[in-house]
Parts: sequence; C-alpha cells; structure tokens
Amino acid sequence: MDIRKKIIVAAVLALSLSAGAQNVSDLIVSEVMPVPDSTSLIDGYGAKTGWIELFNASQGTVNFGGCFLTDDRSDLQKSPISTLDRSTRLGPRQSVVFYTGGHNDNGTYYTSFIVRPGSTVYLVSNDGRTIVDSLQVPSDIPVSMSAAKFAHDNKARIFDEIRVSSPTPGSYNAGGSRETGAHRMGREDPHGWILTMVAVSVVFLALMLLWWLFSMLFRKKDKTPKPSRAKGLTPEVAAAISMALEAEFGSEPVAAISMALHEFLNDTVHDNESFIITINPSATSQWAQKSLGFRRSPR
Amino acid sequence: MEQILDSLRQFWEFTGFYNCSWQNLVMIAIGIAFITVAILKEWEPLLLVPIGFGMIIGNIPMFPGLNIGIYEDGSVLNTLYQGVRQGWYPPLIFLGIGAMTDFSALISQPRLILIGAAAQTGIFGAYLLSLALGFAPNEAGAIGIIGGADGPTAIFLSSKLAPDLMGAIAVSAYSYMALVPVIQRPIMIALTTKKERLIRMPKPRQVSQKEKIIFPIVGFLITAFIVPSGLPLLGMLFFGNLLKESGVTKRLANTASNALIDIVTTMIGLTVGCSTQADKFLTGNSLKIFVLGLVSFVIATTCGVLFVKLFNLFLKEGRKINPLIGNSGVSAVPDSARVSENVGKEFDPNNHLLMHAMGPNVAGVIGSAVAAGILLGFLG
Repeated sequence: MDIRKKIIVAAVLALSLSAGAQNVSDLIVSEVMPVPDSTSLIDGYGAKTGWIELFNASQGTVNFGGCFLTDDRSDLQKSPISTLDRSTRLGPRQSVVFYTGGHNDNGTYYTSFIVRPGSTVYLVSNDGRTIVDSLQVPSDIPVSMSAAKFAHDNKARIFDEIRVSSPTPGSYNAGGSRETGAHRMGREDPHGWILTMVAVSVVFLALMLLWWLFSMLFRKKDKTPKPSRAKGLTPEVAAAISMALEAEFGSEPVAAISMALHEFLNDTVHDNESFIITINPSATSQWAQKSLGFRRSPR
Repeated sequence: MEQILDSLRQFWEFTGFYNCSWQNLVMIAIGIAFITVAILKEWEPLLLVPIGFGMIIGNIPMFPGLNIGIYEDGSVLNTLYQGVRQGWYPPLIFLGIGAMTDFSALISQPRLILIGAAAQTGIFGAYLLSLALGFAPNEAGAIGIIGGADGPTAIFLSSKLAPDLMGAIAVSAYSYMALVPVIQRPIMIALTTKKERLIRMPKPRQVSQKEKIIFPIVGFLITAFIVPSGLPLLGMLFFGNLLKESGVTKRLANTASNALIDIVTTMIGLTVGCSTQADKFLTGNSLKIFVLGLVSFVIATTCGVLFVKLFNLFLKEGRKINPLIGNSGVSAVPDSARVSENVGKEFDPNNHLLMHAMGPNVAGVIGSAVAAGILLGFLG
C-alpha cells in the first residue's frame, strides 16, 4: 500500500472514530431542583428532597454506571453512581432522576450531597476526571422551582438555554415551539432556492468525493486481459479444440466453449472470470424421460 | 316475506353496486389500463401489474366498518400497508437492488458518477415548481423526489414527509419510469448534435474483485457520513452490494436479489395500488403531482445531457463522453441506460453505450438516495 492510500485509509478511519458514538458524553444535566416544599417529589424513603435530572440527548442507549455527580469541582468523585446496577442504562431521549438527600448509600439514585441554591452540579465521566456537563443553579431560585436546560434547535439536540421553571422531573424539557423542518423552511426559505442550492451542492459533493476517492485508490494500471496473456491460444488452436470437442460431445458444448473463447480472445470479457469451463456430459440427454423420475431403489 | 325482503335490501346495501360512485369506476379503469399496458407493452410489468390490481382492490366500493379496507386499523391490507407507511419496504427493496447491481461500470469510470449527480437536479426543479404551485415545503420535497425516477425512494420519502400524497406520488413515479423511453428519447435527440451522438467512448477498464468489495464499504461511509438521514436506503443498498461482491455470502445475496425483493415488490406494488382510493386519489393535487412528475423527469434528463456536454468542454479528444448517456443519470435502472444504448445504436449501430450508461445509472441510484436524505434532513 503506497503512502497515498495509507493517508486516505487513515482519513476515513479518523472520520469514523471522530463520529459521536453513543457514550456518556451524550448525557446532560438537564434539570436541578434544590429547595423542595410540601408539593415536591418524594424519594423512596418518604422524604421530600431536591433532585438532579440527567437526560440522554442521543439516539442510542447510554450506560451511566460508574459516572460521578458532584457539586464540588475540587472533588469530582464526590458521589459515585453504582456500576453494579443494571438499571443504569438510559434509553435514547430518556431521563433519570437522582435524589439529593445527602445519603449516597440509600441506593443508586441518591447522591451524597445536598444541592444548594448558587451551587453548580457536575456530571463526571466514569474516568473520574472528565466533566461531561454541568448546570449552575441560580442563587435566588425560589422554593420548589427548578433550573432546567431547554433546547431550541429543531432536533432538540443542543440544550443551550437555562431557565427557572416549574419542575418536570423525569420528563422532556420541551423548548419553545417545536416546529418541524418543513415549517422552518417555509418560513426561512419560502421559494426553496436556499434548500435547492444546498442540496444540489451536497449531492455533488458526496458523489465527487466518491469519484475522487476511487480515482485515487484505483488509479493504477488497467487490468484488462490483453490477448498476449492467452499464451499459445490463437484462433486456429481454438478452432482445433472446438472441432475435437464437437467430435467428442456434440455441438451444444462446443457452442458454449466457442462463445467463451471468442469473448476471451477478443477481449470482451467484462469481469474477472476463471476461464475454466467444466462440462459433465450426462449419460442420457433425454431429460424428460419418465425413468429419470423413478426411485433408484423402489420400495 | 317482509323479513326476507328486508334481509335482501340489507344485503343489497352491502354490495359494491349499491356503494359505487363514478370515482371508483374511474380508478378501476385506471387500474385496468395499468395492467393492460404492463402486459401488452411490457412497461414495468413487475410494478404496474401489482399496482394496477391494487387499484382495483382498493376501489371496490364497500360498506365502511367491515374492517377490511386499507385505511381501517387492523385489517389485513392495513397491516401489509404498514410496510409502506412506516417505510420498511423501500429499504428492503434497496437491499435487493444492491444485491443485483454491478457497480463495475461506475468503478471503472468514476468520472461518470457526476452525471448521476447532475440528473438529480430534476428533483430540486420539481421542488421549486411545487412550492410555486402552493404546496407546503414537505409536500414539495416529496413530489420533487419523483424526479429521481426511483420508486422505492419516492415511497420512502413521501411516507415520511407527506403520507397523504404518497399514493399519487408513487403511481406518478412508477408511471413515468415505465415511460422513460418515450420521455427521454426526444430530449436526448433535441439537445445533441449528430457529431456528439457518434462519439465513441474509450472502453472501460476491467475492475478487480477487491475494488468491487471496497466500493460498497467506502461508498457507504462517505455518503452516510455526509447524509445520515439517508441511512436506511444507503445502508441497505451498499449492504446488499457487499453481500453480492464479497463472494462468501452468495446465499444471502441470492435471497436478497430474488425471493426477498420479489416478495417486497409484490407487497409494495399491491398496497400502494390499494392506497389510491378514489376519495383520496382523485383530487386536483394528484393532477398537479402528475404534471410535476413529468416536468421533473424532463428536467432530470435535460440536466444530465447538458452536463455531459459541459463536461466534454474540459475533456481531451478521445476522452470525451457521449452525451446520449446523460439521460441515464436518472436512477431508473436499467431502463434509462437501455434508452442510451438504443438511441446510440440508431445513429451508429456499432456504438454500444450500455456499459458506459450503467455507470451514471447506478450513480443515479446513490444520488437519489442522497437527495432523499437531504430532503428528509431539512424537511422532516
């Protein structure tokens, strides 16, 4: 493999690896409710506590077992999430709630810290060092209200707006109006020229890339078999073989062989072929004979 | 006696004769016309016969509430129709197409890929015109894809973007695919000079098995990374081709290219035909869709031919492309390539363009799937 091919293969591999596979980096800290009141969520022990909601923004399942939650940037492994619990697999576009009662040993979905107004909640990857996402709780957040992230892009992938709102634990934080792509295009590109220009360019780009890549990868020699490869096989020899075969087997096989030889000698074979023809003449050519349908050992 | 008459009257009210309307009869007549054309002219018979008979089935007038109609939840036809509504059938057909397609012509002359891209302009021309005629952007996108001349892609995209128009779009796409020789020939002749029609292209080089195996993998990676929304179609197309070319999955390739595609084609044709119930099909919009479909085919063919002429300006003598293969950029495989061959032979009986035309033809399949992915990404 020459250097050019190596570069191309490396580029394709790098492209593949850089694509966002579904992993913990797809999780976001989507909502935090620090100060509960009598109407707040009750945990498994009957206590009304604050909570943290994580949301899987990807289209694949993410296992958050082994990750950490913390409100202290100097202690990223403050509240570990169990790796033994099978329920830590979070489905696409699903959310999960952690109670912030301060007792991590109460179960998988309990943190070892209590979230206070003004603090920042961090989600840390299972390496214990990489901060995946964070959400800062406003210091003046009212009782029983939550700080939540909302998405405003069409596909609800980028949760870029933090708002104080009524809590919605475990449910999707819908942004403003969820208009469809068609509505958006109708508004932004009523005559369709922008989409047309972009789409035509992308179609050309995709196919030009294919053209370029294949021109680069397989620029080398034409492997079409040349007549010189048929050493010693001349039309005269082929005719002699045909005549011998005809004398031996009749005219049908010879027609097939002649066609094959003709294609080979005239360089009209399209694909790589083995150039081996195997003919097993049948003992009888009366294919419709009833005796051929009989059992060999009648019972 | 009165009870018997009452029962007879009740039975009469159940019959198709009682519930019949002129619209049903029109649709049944269209269905019969499809079957007739398919049998007598052999125009796309594998599709027009199921669609035509489906039209007849779908337009048998009946008493509503029997839970047998295609739009009645839980009926047999409705269950089969889910493959169309949910978009299962088109990717399965693409699997079969991939397993049947030999990309050698394309691999040996990669420059012909661009003709497949140029012909997709028909899709976007029809999109612009549909918007001008007052269709919503999602409807316009679904109508535009008719210009790709690819039935499964048209069904896939319309099921996602404009399910209500799917029947008209599918019937329009398949009708014009059947009429490819009629539509394309005059355009090809009008846009080319005699000298251009006589251009002889260099013989394509032979393609190794290794290239054929690498093509579906690299082709899929590139197109899917650029347009992930085309994943169901592109993935299945290239997967089917890998089954064929790998040489170690012959059984799977055989099933995909024979039994599977036959079953799915039967189901898709029949259920699409059934979905053209008169009350949903005989509308002003359907008429507009048929006109736009024709326009999109004309634009696609025109752009393909003109693109080759433009391309030739940059090519040396001896490397020039015969513009008669420009029409084959639309992905009606292999009909449009066959049109190139036939028109080419009219002017030079010894100039065989089929092997060259198959390159842009299969590139058109990839191009239309990419275009569908783009439209789905923007308008979905």
